[in-house]
Amino acid sequence: MNLILLIPIILPITIGFICLIVPWQRIREVFTFIGMLLTTAVALKILLLNELRLQIEWITLSSAQINFDLISYHFSAFILLACSFFGLLITIYSLKQMKGKYHLKEYYIYLLWTVGIANGSILSNNLVILLIFWSIMPVLLYLLIDISGSGSGKAALKSIIIVGGSDFLMLLGVVIIWHLKGTITMNEIIIPIEDGLSTAAFILLTIGAVAKAGAMPFHSWIPDAAEVAHVPVMAFLPAALDKLLGIYLLVRIALDLFIMDYSMKVLLMSIGAVTIIAAVMMALVQKDLRKLLSYHAVSQVGYMVLGIGTGTLIGIAGGLFHMLNNVIYKCCLFLCCGAVEHRIKTTNLERLGGLARTMPVTFITCVIAALSISGIPPLNGFVSKWMVYQGIIDVGGSIWPIFLIAAMFGSALTLASFVKVLHSVFLGEMPKEIMEPKEVEFSMKVPLVILALFCVFFGIFAQFPLKYFIGPVLEVRFSGIGEAINLNGMWSPTLATTLLAFSLVCGIIFYRLGNIKALKEGDIFVGGEPIDCEELRISGIHFYDTIESTGFLKYLYKKAKARAFDPYEWGKTISFSLYSGLSKIHRGILPIYILWIIIGFAVLLFILMK
Amino acid sequence: MDDILRAIFYTIIFPGLIFTCVFGLFFCWVDRKIAARIQSRIGPPWYQCYADVLKLMGKTMIIPRGSRKAGFLLAPLLGLAGITLVSTIIWRVNINQEVSFVGDLIVVLYLLILPSLALIMGGSSSRNPFGVIGASREMKMILAYELPFLIAIITVILKVKSILLGEIITFQSIQGVLVGNPSCVIAFIVCLPCIQAKLTYIPFDIPEAETEIIGGTLAEYSGVSLAIFKLTNAMMLFILPFFLISLFFGGINFNIKGILIVLVEYLAILLLIILIKTTHPRLRIDQAIKFFWWLVTPLAVVGMILALIGE
Repeated sequence: MNLILLIPIILPITIGFICLIVPWQRIREVFTFIGMLLTTAVALKILLLNELRLQIEWITLSSAQINFDLISYHFSAFILLACSFFGLLITIYSLKQMKGKYHLKEYYIYLLWTVGIANGSILSNNLVILLIFWSIMPVLLYLLIDISGSGSGKAALKSIIIVGGSDFLMLLGVVIIWHLKGTITMNEIIIPIEDGLSTAAFILLTIGAVAKAGAMPFHSWIPDAAEVAHVPVMAFLPAALDKLLGIYLLVRIALDLFIMDYSMKVLLMSIGAVTIIAAVMMALVQKDLRKLLSYHAVSQVGYMVLGIGTGTLIGIAGGLFHMLNNVIYKCCLFLCCGAVEHRIKTTNLERLGGLARTMPVTFITCVIAALSISGIPPLNGFVSKWMVYQGIIDVGGSIWPIFLIAAMFGSALTLASFVKVLHSVFLGEMPKEIMEPKEVEFSMKVPLVILALFCVFFGIFAQFPLKYFIGPVLEVRFSGIGEAINLNGMWSPTLATTLLAFSLVCGIIFYRLGNIKALKEGDIFVGGEPIDCEELRISGIHFYDTIESTGFLKYLYKKAKARAFDPYEWGKTISFSLYSGLSKIHRGILPIYILWIIIGFAVLLFILMK
Repeated sequence: MDDILRAIFYTIIFPGLIFTCVFGLFFCWVDRKIAARIQSRIGPPWYQCYADVLKLMGKTMIIPRGSRKAGFLLAPLLGLAGITLVSTIIWRVNINQEVSFVGDLIVVLYLLILPSLALIMGGSSSRNPFGVIGASREMKMILAYELPFLIAIITVILKVKSILLGEIITFQSIQGVLVGNPSCVIAFIVCLPCIQAKLTYIPFDIPEAETEIIGGTLAEYSGVSLAIFKLTNAMMLFILPFFLISLFFGGINFNIKGILIVLVEYLAILLLIILIKTTHPRLRIDQAIKFFWWLVTPLAVVGMILALIGE
């Protein structure tokens, strides 16, 4: 019995219950911190152990067994560690950031439960057990969004309807698999996609996975939630945990449970490509930092789905690596946003500016994360994006150029929107109403710096995560992974970084050669006019107005802002119109009900008398 | 260790920084001379561009008060580093096709964004409103030309069925230059305005626009930092046409005939760029975006479809 597998599930949940009865906030925070730390430690221990399995018999039906079946192998153990680690980081960050916020008591409890339940769904080896854990997640998501104060109920409701609804579709998929194979133990299933039923099962399960990860068209709750939810919640769930879980499941589906055929690959890649472009185009024109980041949280999923959809070795490896990189930099970006909000109390880009001088740590970590997400070499985002591109080209056929264009152009658009962020928040002129804010507290800096360092490390030494994490995951399906992954004869990130560093040094030598000593400060030159910089403050929010108003994009943007492309709104319109007729009848007015009764009675009489 | 030393030599001396600087500044002079002759001026002597850079290095550097100093001073270096690496990769592959690594074409595309990003960072940190406007225009220009440029390069990839620069060059030495195919002719034509825009030459000098926003991103730069920006641009003038030659004309053969042919090709492309530059007025930013997205991009797509059906 490998009872250690139960610890990452039970430990956070139990501590959550203890916190529920502890009356002091301080103790609750300490407990949460210790709980997260212990969970991370246990997850690390599990990663270091070999494959573990825990089976407890539960329900035996004539057709299949539902056992409480947990398994940890390389892949799940790593995701387990990542989940627990992000939980720990968010807890450290929240200690200061969340201080004095509404419903703080519940916040840490929900956080602990989320980690426990997420760990459960990662470890489960039985589709029904997975589904049970999986469908508790949206409830916790609902609660975490809902506690953030007034106006959050609507966004929370939207999230639970979309994510919970997709869980229901997953249930249907599981039923089909049960019907097809007679078993629901995950590591015993391999289904080649050949007929209608297996295609349906694949699509249904995929919907569950990509809806969790937040790909289009199941994305629309994320921007809505970003507007109201606490920033650490956004950094933890949509930015980190949901990506880990959704992509983990997608890889399990695409790699372990099913053998994809070409049409399914094209389907996945199309979802990916559309997600990348559409979401990043929306991000480009946002005027609020939270919303902008949330659209990027959607857009980046596109790269992962695209990479996994290629079905090629390097593509899947790239998709997985991108998932890992994305959770790092996206979490970092959200936490930077939280740091800004912590000091300035707003995330409206128009009212921010010039924070680089007073908040240097936040600024530098944000620059690193922003360049990573834009895929600037030599940071981590570049390596994984480049692997995805390579995967797309390896697919062959005649359709890949479209996906490659979407992916590469999406990257340029990402850069554009982060140029806007960096200018409007950190570089531009500081608005008058901001009073020289201080840098954030130490405990908030720690997660920022750790994540930024990971961005740099995974970029320069990309061979390590590829060799120790992604290689073993894919070894099951692809043989000869060694030479393909270890980047020999490819872009060598370490060497390239050394060379970039040397070129930079050359530039510094240029500076030294020049007349650097005669450095002086001068006034800004604006054609000889004396100007007041604060009066003439140019915020970044209008950077891309030209693009917003060009050609048919103008029409698309107008429609998108009116939520014309949101399936949730379509669903709302359809269901409202369906029962609008009924609601006209049911007004609660007694005479009308009596009228109906009389009519009914008359009809009945007529039939009986005939 | 030996490998690293050699790599550093390649990066800094040949074919990286110093080599590209020297030739870049020389062709900068060629550019100015030809432009002057077209406009019935005499034009500068051959050493003018070197003298300009040297003079700038001796000048006092003025940093605008209240600007983000570190960002302001580091930005030029970023561009220089990026273009140095691009030059190293492209020339090394031309010299020895074996050193090509998987996806070097993509790496080159990404590194080519660095000089523009440097301008954006510099303009944004300079505190000057014109610098900020220049930065936003530069970014929009990237978005505008990147799309057709990408499609044109994908056309080449489709034709050669490889994304190794080395293989693209080898392919052409066996099968004849790519520009012999209709699809690649279109791709080449598409690339021309794109590199014009990358060089911020008229009619796409919108981010700098001296007569309108007094140099835009460069408005506050002076002394060495301005010299580095000028140098970066000169290097781009040298390396971008050469990049196109590698993609479409089969790169360079290292014998006298080969070098002469490349020189002629290079000068022809340069002449085209200069002719466009001297005979056109500057576009507005929205006109430029429309030009690239609704005119050049469809053309590039036609080229790509031709390549898909094997033309």
